[in-house]
Amino acid sequence: MRVIIVGCGRVGARLARQLDAEGHHVAVVDQLVSAFNRLGRDFGGEMIVGNCIDEAVLRRAGVASADCFVSVTNGDNRNLMAAQIAQRIFKVRRVITRVYDPIREAVYRELGLETFCPTSLGADLIRDYFIEGVNRGHPAASVDKPAVRAS
Amino acid sequence: MSGSGDPPYVIIVGGGKVGFHLARHLIERDYEVTLVEKDAARAEWIEHQLGTVSIMVGDGDEMAFLATTGIERAGVVIGATGDDEDNLIVCQLAKIKFNVPRTIARVNNPHNVAVFRALGVDAPVSATELLMGLIEAELGSELVRGVAVKASGTCLVDLALPPVSGFVGKRIADIALPKGGIIVCIVRAGKPVIPEPATIIEPGDELVVYSQLADVAAVGEALAKG
Repeated sequence: MRVIIVGCGRVGARLARQLDAEGHHVAVVDQLVSAFNRLGRDFGGEMIVGNCIDEAVLRRAGVASADCFVSVTNGDNRNLMAAQIAQRIFKVRRVITRVYDPIREAVYRELGLETFCPTSLGADLIRDYFIEGVNRGHPAASVDKPAVRAS
Repeated sequence: MSGSGDPPYVIIVGGGKVGFHLARHLIERDYEVTLVEKDAARAEWIEHQLGTVSIMVGDGDEMAFLATTGIERAGVVIGATGDDEDNLIVCQLAKIKFNVPRTIARVNNPHNVAVFRALGVDAPVSATELLMGLIEAELGSELVRGVAVKASGTCLVDLALPPVSGFVGKRIADIALPKGGIIVCIVRAGKPVIPEPATIIEPGDELVVYSQLADVAAVGEALAKG
Protein backbone atom coordinates (compact mmCIF):
# COMPACT_ATOMS: atom_id res chain seq x y z
CA MET A 1 0.00 0.00 0.00
CA ARG A 2 1.29 3.48 -0.87
CA VAL A 3 0.58 6.02 1.85
CA ILE A 4 1.24 9.75 1.99
CA ILE A 5 1.28 11.44 5.37
CA VAL A 6 1.36 15.23 5.54
CA GLY A 7 2.52 16.66 8.85
CA CYS A 8 5.37 14.93 10.66
CA GLY A 9 4.28 15.77 14.18
CA ARG A 10 3.66 13.20 16.90
CA VAL A 11 0.69 11.57 15.16
CA GLY A 12 2.15 11.73 11.67
CA ALA A 13 5.55 10.38 12.71
CA ARG A 14 4.08 7.58 14.82
CA LEU A 15 1.78 6.45 12.05
CA ALA A 16 4.60 6.67 9.51
CA ARG A 17 6.86 4.45 11.62
CA GLN A 18 4.12 1.89 12.20
CA LEU A 19 3.16 1.60 8.56
CA ASP A 20 6.78 1.56 7.44
CA ALA A 21 7.55 -1.26 9.90
CA GLU A 22 4.56 -3.18 8.54
CA GLY A 23 6.10 -3.01 5.08
CA HIS A 24 3.99 -0.30 3.46
CA HIS A 25 5.43 2.33 1.17
CA VAL A 26 5.28 5.56 3.16
CA ALA A 27 6.06 9.14 2.10
CA VAL A 28 5.99 11.90 4.72
CA VAL A 29 5.69 15.60 3.88
CA ASP A 30 6.65 18.40 6.24
CA GLN A 31 7.82 21.96 5.85
CA LEU A 32 10.56 21.57 8.45
CA VAL A 33 13.51 19.25 7.94
CA SER A 34 13.88 18.99 11.71
CA ALA A 35 10.44 17.38 11.99
CA PHE A 36 11.79 14.26 10.32
CA ASN A 37 13.94 13.59 13.40
CA ARG A 38 10.80 12.12 14.94
CA LEU A 39 10.91 9.29 12.41
CA GLY A 40 14.08 7.84 13.90
CA ARG A 41 16.98 6.23 12.11
CA ASP A 42 15.20 3.00 11.15
CA PHE A 43 12.59 4.73 9.03
CA GLY A 44 12.81 3.44 5.49
CA GLY A 45 10.19 5.62 3.79
CA GLU A 46 10.49 8.84 1.85
CA MET A 47 10.78 12.29 3.41
CA ILE A 48 9.70 15.27 1.37
CA VAL A 49 10.41 18.79 2.54
CA GLY A 50 7.78 21.20 1.30
CA ASN A 51 4.42 22.85 1.63
CA CYS A 52 1.65 20.26 1.70
CA ILE A 53 -0.87 22.58 0.07
CA ASP A 54 1.30 22.91 -3.01
CA GLU A 55 0.22 20.57 -5.78
CA ALA A 56 3.79 20.26 -7.04
CA VAL A 57 5.04 19.10 -3.63
CA LEU A 58 2.27 16.51 -3.33
CA ARG A 59 3.07 15.28 -6.82
CA ARG A 60 6.68 14.88 -5.75
CA ALA A 61 5.46 12.78 -2.83
CA GLY A 62 3.69 10.49 -5.31
CA VAL A 63 0.10 11.55 -4.72
CA ALA A 64 -0.88 10.49 -8.24
CA SER A 65 -0.30 6.84 -7.39
CA ALA A 66 -1.13 6.86 -3.67
CA ASP A 67 -3.70 4.48 -2.14
CA CYS A 68 -4.10 6.43 1.10
CA PHE A 69 -3.58 10.03 2.15
CA VAL A 70 -3.46 11.36 5.71
CA SER A 71 -3.64 15.05 6.68
CA VAL A 72 -2.27 15.57 10.19
CA THR A 73 -0.50 18.93 10.25
CA ASN A 74 -1.37 21.20 13.14
CA GLY A 75 -3.62 23.44 11.05
CA ASP A 76 -7.27 22.48 10.37
CA ASN A 77 -7.52 24.53 7.20
CA ARG A 78 -4.21 23.27 5.94
CA ASN A 79 -5.35 19.67 6.52
CA LEU A 80 -8.67 20.29 4.82
CA MET A 81 -7.05 21.88 1.80
CA ALA A 82 -4.40 19.17 1.39
CA ALA A 83 -7.03 16.45 1.75
CA GLN A 84 -9.29 18.03 -0.84
CA ILE A 85 -6.41 18.30 -3.30
CA ALA A 86 -5.71 14.59 -2.78
CA GLN A 87 -9.35 13.53 -3.01
CA ARG A 88 -10.80 15.83 -5.65
CA ILE A 89 -7.84 16.53 -7.90
CA PHE A 90 -5.72 13.38 -7.61
CA LYS A 91 -8.62 11.00 -6.86
CA VAL A 92 -6.83 9.21 -4.02
CA ARG A 93 -9.22 6.48 -2.85
CA ARG A 94 -8.80 6.81 0.90
CA VAL A 95 -8.22 10.24 2.35
CA ILE A 96 -8.46 10.99 6.05
CA THR A 97 -8.17 14.40 7.68
CA ARG A 98 -7.72 15.56 11.24
CA VAL A 99 -9.87 18.57 12.13
CA TYR A 100 -9.69 19.98 15.67
CA ASP A 101 -12.75 22.22 15.30
CA PRO A 102 -15.84 19.96 15.67
CA ILE A 103 -18.08 22.34 13.71
CA ARG A 104 -15.73 22.55 10.77
CA GLU A 105 -15.29 18.78 10.96
CA ALA A 106 -19.04 18.27 10.61
CA VAL A 107 -19.21 20.61 7.61
CA TYR A 108 -16.51 18.79 5.68
CA ARG A 109 -17.75 15.35 6.66
CA GLU A 110 -21.07 16.34 5.15
CA LEU A 111 -19.19 17.31 1.99
CA GLY A 112 -17.86 13.79 1.70
CA LEU A 113 -14.42 14.08 3.26
CA GLU A 114 -13.41 11.35 5.72
CA THR A 115 -12.55 13.25 8.89
CA PHE A 116 -11.84 12.70 12.57
CA CYS A 117 -11.90 15.20 15.39
CA PRO A 118 -9.53 14.62 18.32
CA THR A 119 -11.45 17.26 20.28
CA SER A 120 -14.74 15.34 20.29
CA LEU A 121 -12.98 11.98 20.56
CA GLY A 122 -11.08 13.22 23.62
CA ALA A 123 -14.13 14.79 25.24
CA ASP A 124 -16.20 11.62 24.64
CA LEU A 125 -13.45 9.48 26.13
CA ILE A 126 -13.32 11.53 29.31
CA ARG A 127 -17.11 11.71 29.53
CA ASP A 128 -17.35 7.92 29.24
CA TYR A 129 -14.79 7.47 31.99
CA PHE A 130 -16.63 9.84 34.35
CA ILE A 131 -20.16 8.67 33.58
CA GLU A 132 -19.78 5.02 32.55
CA GLY A 133 -16.62 4.32 34.51
CA VAL A 134 -14.99 2.97 31.38
CA ASN A 135 -11.67 4.29 30.15
CA ARG A 136 -11.78 3.32 26.48
CA GLY A 137 -8.20 4.52 26.05
CA HIS A 138 -6.98 1.95 28.62
CA PRO A 139 -9.87 -0.42 29.42
CA ALA A 140 -7.83 -2.53 31.85
CA ALA A 141 -6.95 0.35 34.15
CA SER A 142 -10.50 1.06 35.26
CA VAL A 143 -11.95 -2.42 35.94
CA ASP A 144 -12.30 -2.17 39.71
CA LYS A 145 -13.47 1.45 39.89
CA PRO A 146 -17.20 1.88 40.48
CA ALA A 147 -19.17 4.14 38.13
CA VAL A 148 -20.16 7.60 39.41
CA ARG A 149 -23.91 7.94 39.74
CA ALA A 150 -25.75 10.72 37.94
CA SER A 151 -26.75 13.46 40.37
CA MET B 1 -29.50 40.06 -0.74
CA SER B 2 -29.75 43.71 -1.53
CA GLY B 3 -31.82 45.12 -4.39
CA SER B 4 -30.53 44.52 -7.88
CA GLY B 5 -29.42 48.10 -8.40
CA ASP B 6 -27.41 48.44 -5.20
CA PRO B 7 -23.83 47.29 -5.01
CA PRO B 8 -23.69 43.98 -3.15
CA TYR B 9 -22.79 43.65 0.53
CA VAL B 10 -19.14 42.58 0.62
CA ILE B 11 -17.37 40.73 3.41
CA ILE B 12 -13.59 40.81 3.35
CA VAL B 13 -11.73 38.36 5.57
CA GLY B 14 -8.21 39.45 6.44
CA GLY B 15 -7.20 43.01 7.27
CA GLY B 16 -3.61 42.92 6.01
CA LYS B 17 -2.40 45.22 3.27
CA VAL B 18 -4.62 43.66 0.62
CA GLY B 19 -7.77 43.53 2.74
CA PHE B 20 -7.30 47.03 4.09
CA HIS B 21 -6.77 48.74 0.74
CA LEU B 22 -9.51 46.70 -0.87
CA ALA B 23 -11.95 47.75 1.86
CA ARG B 24 -11.03 51.39 1.41
CA HIS B 25 -11.39 51.14 -2.36
CA LEU B 26 -14.84 49.56 -2.11
CA ILE B 27 -16.08 51.96 0.55
CA GLU B 28 -15.10 54.88 -1.67
CA ARG B 29 -17.32 53.32 -4.33
CA ASP B 30 -20.27 53.10 -1.94
CA TYR B 31 -20.17 49.39 -1.28
CA GLU B 32 -21.36 48.18 2.09
CA VAL B 33 -18.30 46.45 3.46
CA THR B 34 -17.51 44.43 6.56
CA LEU B 35 -13.86 43.73 7.17
CA VAL B 36 -13.03 40.75 9.39
CA GLU B 37 -9.69 40.83 11.17
CA LYS B 38 -8.32 38.35 13.72
CA ASP B 39 -6.00 40.72 15.52
CA ALA B 40 -7.72 43.28 17.78
CA ALA B 41 -4.89 45.83 17.65
CA ARG B 42 -4.73 45.67 13.87
CA ALA B 43 -8.52 46.03 13.70
CA GLU B 44 -8.39 49.12 15.87
CA TRP B 45 -5.74 50.66 13.67
CA ILE B 46 -7.83 50.01 10.55
CA GLU B 47 -10.90 51.51 12.19
CA HIS B 48 -8.87 54.58 13.00
CA GLN B 49 -7.66 54.86 9.40
CA LEU B 50 -10.94 54.27 7.64
CA GLY B 51 -13.33 55.78 10.12
CA THR B 52 -16.60 54.54 8.76
CA VAL B 53 -15.63 50.96 8.03
CA SER B 54 -17.52 48.20 9.74
CA ILE B 55 -14.81 46.02 11.17
CA MET B 56 -15.31 42.85 13.19
CA VAL B 57 -12.69 41.10 15.26
CA GLY B 58 -12.85 37.35 14.86
CA ASP B 59 -11.90 34.23 12.94
CA GLY B 60 -13.26 34.27 9.41
CA ASP B 61 -13.13 30.49 9.31
CA GLU B 62 -15.30 29.96 12.39
CA MET B 63 -18.87 29.16 11.37
CA ALA B 64 -20.39 30.67 14.49
CA PHE B 65 -18.51 33.90 13.96
CA LEU B 66 -19.30 34.10 10.26
CA ALA B 67 -22.98 33.79 11.12
CA THR B 68 -22.75 37.06 13.07
CA THR B 69 -21.42 39.05 10.11
CA GLY B 70 -24.69 39.08 8.18
CA ILE B 71 -23.11 36.71 5.69
CA GLU B 72 -26.45 35.29 4.55
CA ARG B 73 -27.21 38.55 2.73
CA ALA B 74 -23.68 39.02 1.36
CA GLY B 75 -23.29 39.16 -2.41
CA VAL B 76 -19.54 38.62 -2.32
CA VAL B 77 -17.12 37.12 0.18
CA ILE B 78 -13.42 37.74 -0.30
CA GLY B 79 -10.71 35.67 1.40
CA ALA B 80 -7.82 38.12 1.56
CA THR B 81 -5.49 36.73 4.22
CA GLY B 82 -1.88 35.82 3.56
CA ASP B 83 -2.61 32.10 3.97
CA ASP B 84 -4.05 30.17 1.05
CA GLU B 85 -5.60 27.46 3.22
CA ASP B 86 -7.54 30.05 5.24
CA ASN B 87 -8.77 31.83 2.12
CA LEU B 88 -9.94 28.55 0.62
CA ILE B 89 -11.86 27.47 3.71
CA VAL B 90 -13.50 30.91 4.12
CA CYS B 91 -14.71 30.79 0.52
CA GLN B 92 -15.93 27.21 0.77
CA LEU B 93 -17.84 27.86 3.99
CA ALA B 94 -19.37 31.01 2.50
CA LYS B 95 -20.46 29.17 -0.62
CA ILE B 96 -21.60 25.88 0.88
CA LYS B 97 -23.01 26.85 4.27
CA PHE B 98 -24.23 30.38 3.59
CA ASN B 99 -25.05 30.24 -0.13
CA VAL B 100 -23.00 33.33 -0.95
CA PRO B 101 -23.29 33.75 -4.73
CA ARG B 102 -19.74 34.89 -5.42
CA THR B 103 -16.48 34.04 -3.67
CA ILE B 104 -13.12 35.59 -4.42
CA ALA B 105 -9.84 34.37 -2.95
CA ARG B 106 -6.44 35.93 -2.79
CA VAL B 107 -4.04 33.17 -3.87
CA ASN B 108 -0.57 33.62 -2.46
CA ASN B 109 1.08 30.62 -4.10
CA PRO B 110 0.47 30.87 -7.86
CA HIS B 111 0.47 27.05 -8.09
CA ASN B 112 -2.83 27.12 -6.24
CA VAL B 113 -4.92 29.05 -8.77
CA ALA B 114 -6.12 25.94 -10.58
CA VAL B 115 -6.59 24.11 -7.28
CA PHE B 116 -8.83 26.88 -5.94
CA ARG B 117 -10.93 26.81 -9.06
CA ALA B 118 -11.27 23.03 -8.88
CA LEU B 119 -12.32 23.28 -5.25
CA GLY B 120 -15.16 25.68 -5.99
CA VAL B 121 -13.80 29.22 -5.53
CA ASP B 122 -15.42 31.45 -8.17
CA ALA B 123 -12.50 33.80 -8.67
CA PRO B 124 -9.02 32.93 -7.43
CA VAL B 125 -6.75 35.96 -7.84
CA SER B 126 -3.01 35.54 -7.72
CA ALA B 127 -1.17 38.84 -7.33
CA THR B 128 2.10 37.02 -7.78
CA GLU B 129 1.00 35.50 -11.06
CA LEU B 130 -0.31 38.81 -12.37
CA LEU B 131 2.90 40.53 -11.40
CA MET B 132 5.05 37.78 -12.91
CA GLY B 133 3.10 38.04 -16.15
CA LEU B 134 3.69 41.77 -16.28
CA ILE B 135 7.37 41.51 -15.49
CA GLU B 136 7.87 38.62 -17.86
CA ALA B 137 6.24 40.63 -20.59
CA GLU B 138 8.65 43.47 -19.93
CA LEU B 139 11.67 41.21 -19.83
CA GLY B 140 10.76 38.52 -22.29
CA SER B 141 10.54 40.10 -25.67
CA GLU B 142 10.88 43.55 -27.06
CA LEU B 143 7.98 42.74 -29.30
CA VAL B 144 5.63 42.70 -26.35
CA ARG B 145 4.69 46.27 -25.82
CA GLY B 146 1.97 46.36 -23.28
CA VAL B 147 -0.08 43.99 -21.27
CA ALA B 148 -3.55 44.39 -19.87
CA VAL B 149 -4.27 41.81 -17.25
CA LYS B 150 -7.59 40.49 -16.07
CA ALA B 151 -8.27 38.62 -12.87
CA SER B 152 -9.40 35.61 -14.88
CA GLY B 153 -5.82 34.74 -15.68
CA THR B 154 -6.18 35.82 -19.27
CA CYS B 155 -4.72 38.97 -20.73
CA LEU B 156 -4.50 41.17 -23.72
CA VAL B 157 -1.08 41.56 -25.27
CA ASP B 158 -0.10 44.15 -27.80
CA LEU B 159 2.42 42.56 -30.14
CA ALA B 160 4.32 44.41 -32.83
CA LEU B 161 5.20 42.17 -35.77
CA PRO B 162 8.90 41.97 -36.57
CA PRO B 163 9.99 43.81 -39.75
CA VAL B 164 10.11 40.57 -41.69
CA SER B 165 7.24 38.41 -40.60
CA GLY B 166 5.80 35.29 -42.14
CA PHE B 167 2.39 36.52 -41.12
CA VAL B 168 2.42 39.46 -43.52
CA GLY B 169 0.17 38.71 -46.47
CA LYS B 170 -1.69 35.95 -44.60
CA ARG B 171 -5.39 36.01 -43.85
CA ILE B 172 -6.50 36.03 -40.20
CA ALA B 173 -8.36 32.77 -40.84
CA ASP B 174 -5.08 31.07 -41.81
CA ILE B 175 -3.16 32.06 -38.67
CA ALA B 176 -3.06 29.50 -35.90
CA LEU B 177 -1.84 30.83 -32.58
CA PRO B 178 -0.78 28.39 -29.87
CA LYS B 179 -3.22 27.34 -27.14
CA GLY B 180 -6.24 29.29 -28.24
CA GLY B 181 -4.67 32.73 -28.49
CA ILE B 182 -7.07 34.99 -30.40
CA ILE B 183 -6.29 38.11 -32.41
CA VAL B 184 -8.92 40.56 -31.20
CA CYS B 185 -7.69 43.74 -32.86
CA ILE B 186 -5.18 44.96 -35.39
CA VAL B 187 -3.55 48.33 -34.88
CA ARG B 188 -2.72 49.65 -38.33
CA ALA B 189 -1.01 53.03 -38.60
CA GLY B 190 -2.20 53.89 -35.12
CA LYS B 191 -5.83 53.01 -35.85
CA PRO B 192 -7.75 49.95 -34.72
CA VAL B 193 -8.97 47.55 -37.37
CA ILE B 194 -11.47 44.87 -36.41
CA PRO B 195 -10.08 41.58 -37.71
CA GLU B 196 -12.34 39.59 -40.05
CA PRO B 197 -11.40 36.09 -41.19
CA ALA B 198 -10.49 37.53 -44.57
CA THR B 199 -8.45 40.46 -43.25
CA ILE B 200 -4.89 40.30 -44.53
CA ILE B 201 -1.97 41.19 -42.27
CA GLU B 202 0.09 44.11 -43.55
CA PRO B 203 3.69 45.04 -42.79
CA GLY B 204 3.97 47.14 -39.62
CA ASP B 205 0.70 45.88 -38.12
CA GLU B 206 0.44 45.50 -34.37
CA LEU B 207 -1.70 42.70 -33.09
CA VAL B 208 -3.68 42.77 -29.87
CA VAL B 209 -3.90 39.16 -28.76
CA TYR B 210 -6.12 37.65 -26.08
CA SER B 211 -4.41 34.75 -24.34
CA GLN B 212 -3.93 32.86 -21.10
CA LEU B 213 -1.31 34.60 -19.01
CA ALA B 214 0.88 31.50 -18.95
CA ASP B 215 0.87 31.23 -22.74
CA VAL B 216 1.85 34.80 -23.56
CA ALA B 217 5.46 33.83 -24.16
CA ALA B 218 4.49 31.06 -26.58
CA VAL B 219 2.17 33.39 -28.50
CA GLY B 220 4.88 36.04 -28.70
CA GLU B 221 7.34 33.49 -29.98
CA ALA B 222 4.97 32.24 -32.64
CA LEU B 223 4.42 35.78 -33.87
CA ALA B 224 8.13 36.54 -33.86
CA LYS B 225 8.87 33.44 -35.94
CA GLY B 226 5.94 34.02 -38.22
